[in-house]
Amino acid sequence: MTIEAPPPSDNGVEVPAELKQNVFFGKLDDLYNWGRAYSLWPLTMGLACCAIEMIATGTARYDQDRFGAALFRATPRQADFMIVSGTVTKKMLPQIIRIFNQMAEPKYVISMGACANGGGPFKEGYNVVSGIDKFIPVDVYVPGCPPTPQALLNGIIKLQEKIQGQSIKTVPWYRPEERTEPVPMPILGPDLIDPRQVSLIKDTLEKARQPEEAEGDENGEAPRPKRVVKPPKLPTWDITPTDEATALADSINQALQADQAVVPEANTLIVAPEHLVAFGRHVRDDLGYELLSNVTGVDYLGREGDRFEVVYHAYNVRQPEKPALVFKARAAEDKPELPSLYGVWKTCYLQEREIYDLYGINFTDHPNMKRVLLWDGFHGHPLRKDYEEAYYEDPVKPFPSRWPGGDHARAETRNPFGKNVIYPQDWDIDQWTPDEVEHNLDHVIEARDIKEGVDFDTDRIVLNLGPHHPSTHGVFRMVVAMEGETIVDLEPVFGYLHRNHEKIGERNSWIMNMPFTDRLDYLNSMQNNLAYALTVEKLAGLAVPERAEYIRVIMCELTRVFSHMSLVGFLASDLGCMFTPLFYAFEGRERVVDLFEEASGSRMMCNYMRFGGVTYDISDDWLKRAETVTNTLERGLEELHTLITGNEIVLSRTKDIGYLSPEDLLSHGVTGPMLRAAGIKYDIRRVDPYSIYDRFDFDVPTLPDSDIFCRFYQRILEARESIKILRQAYKGIKDTEPGDIMGGKKGYIFRPPAGEAYVRTEHSKGELGFYVVSNKSDSPWRYRVRSPSFINLNALADMCKGGKVADTIVTLGAIDIVLGEVDR
Amino acid sequence: MDLEFIISLIVQIVMIGVIAVALMTAFAAMVMVERKLLGRFTLRYGPNRVGKYGSLQIIADMFKLFFKEEVIPGHVERTVYLMAPGLALVPALMAFAVVPIAGAPFTLPFQIMGTPITINPWIANVNVGVLYILAIGSLGTYGVILGGWSSNNKYSLLGGLRTSAQMLSYELPMGLAMLSAILIVGSMQLTNIVEFQASYLGGFFWLILVQPVAFIVFYICALAEAGRSPFDLPETENELIAGFSTEYGGMKFGLFFAAEYVHMIVVSFIMATVFLGGWSGPFAQQAPFLGIGYLLIKVAFILFTMIWVRASIPRVRFDKLMKFCWKFLLPVSIANAAATALVLAVLFF
Repeated sequence: MTIEAPPPSDNGVEVPAELKQNVFFGKLDDLYNWGRAYSLWPLTMGLACCAIEMIATGTARYDQDRFGAALFRATPRQADFMIVSGTVTKKMLPQIIRIFNQMAEPKYVISMGACANGGGPFKEGYNVVSGIDKFIPVDVYVPGCPPTPQALLNGIIKLQEKIQGQSIKTVPWYRPEERTEPVPMPILGPDLIDPRQVSLIKDTLEKARQPEEAEGDENGEAPRPKRVVKPPKLPTWDITPTDEATALADSINQALQADQAVVPEANTLIVAPEHLVAFGRHVRDDLGYELLSNVTGVDYLGREGDRFEVVYHAYNVRQPEKPALVFKARAAEDKPELPSLYGVWKTCYLQEREIYDLYGINFTDHPNMKRVLLWDGFHGHPLRKDYEEAYYEDPVKPFPSRWPGGDHARAETRNPFGKNVIYPQDWDIDQWTPDEVEHNLDHVIEARDIKEGVDFDTDRIVLNLGPHHPSTHGVFRMVVAMEGETIVDLEPVFGYLHRNHEKIGERNSWIMNMPFTDRLDYLNSMQNNLAYALTVEKLAGLAVPERAEYIRVIMCELTRVFSHMSLVGFLASDLGCMFTPLFYAFEGRERVVDLFEEASGSRMMCNYMRFGGVTYDISDDWLKRAETVTNTLERGLEELHTLITGNEIVLSRTKDIGYLSPEDLLSHGVTGPMLRAAGIKYDIRRVDPYSIYDRFDFDVPTLPDSDIFCRFYQRILEARESIKILRQAYKGIKDTEPGDIMGGKKGYIFRPPAGEAYVRTEHSKGELGFYVVSNKSDSPWRYRVRSPSFINLNALADMCKGGKVADTIVTLGAIDIVLGEVDR
Repeated sequence: MDLEFIISLIVQIVMIGVIAVALMTAFAAMVMVERKLLGRFTLRYGPNRVGKYGSLQIIADMFKLFFKEEVIPGHVERTVYLMAPGLALVPALMAFAVVPIAGAPFTLPFQIMGTPITINPWIANVNVGVLYILAIGSLGTYGVILGGWSSNNKYSLLGGLRTSAQMLSYELPMGLAMLSAILIVGSMQLTNIVEFQASYLGGFFWLILVQPVAFIVFYICALAEAGRSPFDLPETENELIAGFSTEYGGMKFGLFFAAEYVHMIVVSFIMATVFLGGWSGPFAQQAPFLGIGYLLIKVAFILFTMIWVRASIPRVRFDKLMKFCWKFLLPVSIANAAATALVLAVLFF
């Protein structure tokens, strides 16, 4: 739509009436569009990894504010456009649509990143919406995974261009007859239900229930020939017990006064379910295994005996030289049930719920045995081996060459609903009613009725913080019951970014998982890469060349420094600091990601490490610049330190807030800086050294008080140590052979030997571990991420109770969560 | 009615209009300056695409807000909800009435119907000016509280509750800080207060010199009264989404937005008048126009510090804010007022 040129008026030409109007509107259009285009207030809403680049777009180097497009508003009523930045999950979708409906016209949507555009790498996931444009109208698509800040800026400029091409006469929002109705809210049923599709769902399910022969003949379409797929090979490996395991099993059996309570298997112990709790008490109290780090399920479909297995990894923190204790419990297929270990280790609160959610193993005596990542009412347990997603392809992908019948259409095009959804065949939509109350929140909501011990009888407010909230660091939700402004009860709600990482991991080949690990903790892709590479290397027995080890350490420690700096910045802005510290911290990040981009080709999602080494070598020039950047980082760190640490308000807001005793922290499974800020000197780089960390001279700082201030200051101390390591690594790498960066022999397809492996690393947020089971095939049988953010959140409720609303925000900030890792 | 009275009435009304427009323009400039300064504080440029150095940014924003759909959510208390933004803005503008912007009346170089026209550098020179400011200041709180309550939203309600508690508490030390100044001057009339400061020490007997404690207390209270960081608890983006204005959008939000800035500007004018000598400065008595310049420089400096504070200091927690007010600021200001009274009594009686 172009603007009419003003008609010549001085030469006496008569202007036709309709043109006159155009001139008026033309001028008004100019003004109207100018105002709209240069005053775009974005909604503060970050969904996933893209949100970090969205923040970076606002920071010094890119400065979105130049375009008048960075007055971030937290409430949809005041915002003009929404940047759908990242993966849209089914659980999150209703909130996004509600927010979209609450925005006032004129409103625009920028779809940022591959996931929002069309599902991206997570497209096939059972909880992923493959493209936000299936539900709300999108104005501008920004490609990339994640798009660089420049790309987002370009998207904003494109949006401005689009606005300037509109006319006040034709825009729909002033015409009652063209008024768009609010987008109908999707409902969470057995799968996501789009209200516009109800009749289609009914018809399709009806048809599917008809006998087989009716299908296909009418429209002349032959049914798709089913490929015969070999059932997956069960993983089996040598399970002869080691001497240590046998000795340990004997001593435990004796202590429990039971004959066969514990049976050794390889270097693990199989615990009989009826003795599980007693066994847990014994190893915690008598053997000192206070930290139950990892609890996970495995589905051995088709195995003789019990189908499900739950694997526990426990550690002794006070005597770190004691070996890890790995024990397993098994549950039968027909009645998958195990006793809950919540009474022994509180960390089981979330981890057992996750297993229940994904495997359907019921833990008796668990206080709140509800789904955690998906919603109540979801159909099926996705990590079971026989669960197939809506867009599931056979292990043989639909290339023409691999599909002899010639029918190689993708599952995506065959889905009758046009969306990534699947409904159980016997489901009757007419009989079904959605749950109005989310049952797992009952205990918080009921806190309203507790009147005992209250001197002033007031109504309690149940306040919902999130999943769309400026300070939840992504799509995290807390339901709090408050007495005035004091928190009485709190329940975290997860799963708004559950991108089916582990299920996708079991469909991918081994190396294909490497880029997915980037998207776990998207601030720390290098450390995630390293942890996964180490795990597979342990399984396959690969050696890593010296130079690659140095490069890995350099990359990881650079990541750690800026991750800790970002935490300081984010925490300061949680305290209400107008973004200044955050932007200062992101200055450092920009410099580090520049280095990463040069070394690996990507700013955020580096995908840099390989089994046995790293992808590309680094040059001497790179190293020289890395040294400069390290100096800059150190200066930036000290600047933040002087800016924040001594500030009276910071001290008054962080001292003695969010206290939790070291024992409680351990019981909750909290690891990393939070644990060290409680005075426990436990750093995996020291107690269980991996890579070449044993060569470096660095301290493990600890602080005594276990409050927010210590957690925050701990990060600064640790970043200083990382800079120390970096300086040593720059020196050490000079003695290595350039180009020698890959170990092991080259192969086309990577198949590690059958077995299981768990490797833990000191990630900047805590203990990051990968647990993999291999059946010596292209893809892992089980691929589990022990993510520090998720497990550290276990302690959130206990830290927040009794505090104020403002403290909750800071406490959450000090845990330093990244939602990609929390929900996976 | 005589002609002189009618003309002075008309002049007065015109003046009110001029001042209101000037304040709204100042608000626009203020937003602009703040965004540019915040940009600089965070190593950025800030808006620079519309107008020279982005100087028209706020005009674009206002246009946008003006054309935005007026959403009135179904669950609000309609009348009060619509009234609240106006209730917030109008008292903020009204408080300016008693501020003298120059030392002497201006006489216009022409006459209407033989009557010379003089313009007073104030709108109302009431003899209880300080009381008037405090009274009108507390009226502004109603806009925020009612906005928060009528929105029928938990975040808004919490924001409104915080406002009522915060603003009511901070009025006490603010009044006491003013009292210390009044005790020295002996008048509540703002013109007298300025003239007092202008008449000693060659026009530099600013009350900040003898009442530094009162000035600091007043500054802190002014931040709290205007809802500025670190006391921006009514909005607290990090906790309460947008606090009392969560359910407000479009021009209604624009009014709240304007109210905050006008409040801040007016409070700075009052602070400059009471503690920094107002219009006084070299030759200000002889050339009243200079006085306006001096006053504006002082106000600009105070506003700059407010933005500076916003860019560098985190927010105080709600209960600590109250504790700070009642357990620290109030005793300090009472002690200060008492000490002032004692010293004056010893000196002059």
